[in-house]
Amino acid sequence: MTKSFDTQKPAGWSRRRVLKTAASGLALAAASSFPMPALAQGKKLTYWGGLIFSDDANKLLTDTINAWGAANGVATEVVMINQNETTQKVSAAVSSNTMPDALDMGLGLARLLARQSQFSDVGDLYKKIGDAQGGWFAGPDTASDLTADGGIARVGIPFGVNGNLLLRRKDLLEPAGFTEAPKTWDELVTQAEAINKAPVSGLGLALSNVGDANLQVAVLQSFGGRIADDAGKKVTIDSPETRLWLTWLKNAWDKGLFSPGNTTWDGAGDNQAYLSGQAGFIANTGSVGIAARKDDPELFESSAFSPLPGGPKGIISPIDVQLRAITKASPVQDEAKALLEHLSSPEFMNAYFNVAIYGPVLTNQEKLQAFDGTNTILVGLLGLAKNGTAPAYPDVNNAAFADFGSNFLIPKLAQRVVVDGWDFDKAIAEAQTQGQAIYDKY
Amino acid sequence: MTVSTQDSTPRRRFGGGFKLKLFAYALVAPVVLLILGLVAYPFFFAIWVSFTDMVIGSTGNFIGFKNFEYLAGTATFWAAIRNTIVIVLVSDVLKLVIGLGLALLVHQNLPGRGIFRSFLMLPWAMPAFVAFLTWRVLYQPIGGGINLILNQTGLYAGTVDWLGTRTTAMASVIIASVWRGFPFWFISILAALQSVPKELYEAAIVDGANTWQRFWNVTIPSILPVIIVTTLLSSIWTANGFEHVWLLTAGGPSDATMVFPVLAYFGMQTQRIGEAAAVSVYMLPVLAILVIFATSLMMRREE
Repeated sequence: MTKSFDTQKPAGWSRRRVLKTAASGLALAAASSFPMPALAQGKKLTYWGGLIFSDDANKLLTDTINAWGAANGVATEVVMINQNETTQKVSAAVSSNTMPDALDMGLGLARLLARQSQFSDVGDLYKKIGDAQGGWFAGPDTASDLTADGGIARVGIPFGVNGNLLLRRKDLLEPAGFTEAPKTWDELVTQAEAINKAPVSGLGLALSNVGDANLQVAVLQSFGGRIADDAGKKVTIDSPETRLWLTWLKNAWDKGLFSPGNTTWDGAGDNQAYLSGQAGFIANTGSVGIAARKDDPELFESSAFSPLPGGPKGIISPIDVQLRAITKASPVQDEAKALLEHLSSPEFMNAYFNVAIYGPVLTNQEKLQAFDGTNTILVGLLGLAKNGTAPAYPDVNNAAFADFGSNFLIPKLAQRVVVDGWDFDKAIAEAQTQGQAIYDKY
Repeated sequence: MTVSTQDSTPRRRFGGGFKLKLFAYALVAPVVLLILGLVAYPFFFAIWVSFTDMVIGSTGNFIGFKNFEYLAGTATFWAAIRNTIVIVLVSDVLKLVIGLGLALLVHQNLPGRGIFRSFLMLPWAMPAFVAFLTWRVLYQPIGGGINLILNQTGLYAGTVDWLGTRTTAMASVIIASVWRGFPFWFISILAALQSVPKELYEAAIVDGANTWQRFWNVTIPSILPVIIVTTLLSSIWTANGFEHVWLLTAGGPSDATMVFPVLAYFGMQTQRIGEAAAVSVYMLPVLAILVIFATSLMMRREE
């Protein structure tokens, strides 16, 4: 009987053995989740580069980092991240402790992460690079000081300034009698009206829920409007100046000057409108110029760049600064610093400026061949680096302002008026309430 | 000897049963752990996060219902509720009508119905982002396919900004969503139609029922359980759907097509993880009811 029972068992697999095997498997799985000893691994540096609208610039950055790694015995891995997705990728990486050793990012994300003490102090390197290259331009120098956000002044090395330039179709405007760039927003409307004939719309400005549409914050500020008071606490959207800006906007909208579809554009909407010949003016960081120069030289030759127009209170043309930072948890701090110094060299930066869409950050960079005046986009960006206004100015550049911008409340205010047909008071009241709710969180 | 036998038998039975139970638990333990890790933990963690002010890189502080209160105080939140309900209801009705109609058609003995059936599945087989980006191109005000057709055929000479105006944006999103989703309804209903016993129809004919009466009294009751389950599943997917709105309008113009998943994504995009989680948690009760209802119906059908 016993023998008969035994023969029914699967050969060689007793219950005990199954349990033992399962336990061993679990133990192995648990053990494998612990990090392996560092000495078993070579030095490796992972870099997240910001993917921009220039394949040449992306390739140059990748090749340069890899070449530097090969020359210095450091294995490098360069991952180019779409700049529209940097926040999401970094969010996931921070949560899962898988941040790269170094990365590119804009000021907004740097400010947020600095507050969470995610970065190493690179103050010494910042000074060294500045001293070697004639010092930093005042705009990027002030803007990239993040002392108020985490106590460390320099958590990143600035490598480029960007912001909006006005791009216009001079081939359409000059025959209409406009040889100069518009100096004011009212002049812009006048010029746009003159060339607003299907399929060309005068104004290719986004009014949707994307970052491009936050240009209207600068327009509002140039009309004298403010998001919040000088303390950066009390929202002040409900003002006569906001109504002045809305009057300008509504007037242009009612004239049919804005590109159709601009209230639902994504980040590439204005690019596509201009590159397809359907917009007379756009405000853009220069990426459209790069694309036009490469794919449509005729359109590029027909275009001109100029600073943003001004309102009754002058020109508000905020700059953003791109930074390269080293994560605090990186085991290759010295190597990462050496790489950042290498990437700040005049040789690399000259080549990079020539194919990228950034203005200079160091005063000596003005003397680089890239800024000799032959490239009209870079001339515009040089002007932005020298004369652009500080981020958020005249508002206080705090976390609440950043959150306010991320919620696109000013583009939404514009949409309430032009899409939903709300009167100014009702639309402003909503923006005021929602804006104050955001500011109250900080 | 007798005593010994009486003592040993229950002990052996208890010991064997316990070991067997232990063995069974050991076998299912990895799966249970996997489910706990992949489903239960993220689920409860998301609920916890919704009660915090978590942003990137911080664990966040408990702030009670503040995220929920903040959301409920915004017009966009209420627009998201309204729009989600509209999209789900209208899409379901249209998908039902189209899916049922086509299933009834293909169920007939028509020549080439196999090819036609495969052809109808194409929208479902196409990756969602390709489908909705194609629709976006079709809806373009200038150079878009729909306006071109309207202009070329002389039906309308002007330019319609399909996605950019409040009056047409929601309808445009629903049409694209229905186009992508109706094949699921079609194939589910077709499968149900094929399982209806012919004897029922024969009996109805003997009883003198006409076509409409056979459809209403035989077909519909036979396929009703499938329609209910399909409706529930489709409602859950549509309410949770992100691509159709994000790729077409990103919730705009203004908040004309804002739905819960897009609202949650805006929260994530702007680093306010606690708020984004609160949006998802707001959806939870309704979706949970739908899920429980659909699951119980499906299990009942299997029995």
